[in-house]
Amino acid sequence: MNEERELAINPIVLTSMQHNTQVVSNIRSLTASLFGVAAGTLGMESYTGFVFYLIGTLIVSGLIFSFRAEGKASEYFHRPLGDLWGGDVVSGLSSFVLTWTLFYGLVRA
Amino acid sequence: MAFLGATLNTVGLIFLTHAVYSTHEHTATFPHAPLPLDITIELLVSILVLSAGIVLTSPSLKPIEWARWSGKLQREGRHGEGKWTREGEEILSEGDPYAFLGLDGGIGGKGEGRMGFWDVRGKRKEYAEWARSGGKN
Repeated sequence: MNEERELAINPIVLTSMQHNTQVVSNIRSLTASLFGVAAGTLGMESYTGFVFYLIGTLIVSGLIFSFRAEGKASEYFHRPLGDLWGGDVVSGLSSFVLTWTLFYGLVRA
Repeated sequence: MAFLGATLNTVGLIFLTHAVYSTHEHTATFPHAPLPLDITIELLVSILVLSAGIVLTSPSLKPIEWARWSGKLQREGRHGEGKWTREGEEILSEGDPYAFLGLDGGIGGKGEGRMGFWDVRGKRKEYAEWARSGGKN
């Protein structure tokens, strides 16, 4: 109820929200495969690789936060924690694993 | 900013390719030796540079609050974003969706503004004076 009233007073532009989500998901899918290349080349195995991916996404989130959102995440994301810091982390995981295994096989095996 | 991003991307890609190639050569010659530290550092630095470049070349975010968003539109107006269609028309940024109402001209402005908010009596008086003067001017 409280949030509903807040949204009635300060309405949200849907097209901007979609645009921001699109930008974040584009960055995520590009950088996820990049981290996969690095993890595979470094020869990471099992949990180390996933931890590496999580650290990488955290760094990329920090880059988006400081360069694209200019430190004001709540101005560009409705829920900064879910949309910016945790946005599309899981969907990037599959492309991470793909390039991880590919480069592990190419370089190491 | 876009130029900086493109430079970072290019530099990062070159270093990444070099690091991956070096790793491949190293593991081909010494299959069981650990990777030298300089290749690891080069690889990590290159992906950092590349992800910074990707973030910098991505389109800028738009404010989601209606007030900030429309304020930004009014301050900046419609302007080209450096993109053209295949026919050669410039693609403009999004404009004020309520511009067709003409609210800006009507309130305190010189234009007629929104049709429903006409000053009807004023217009009628203006017309009467024009007719009395013989329809000139």
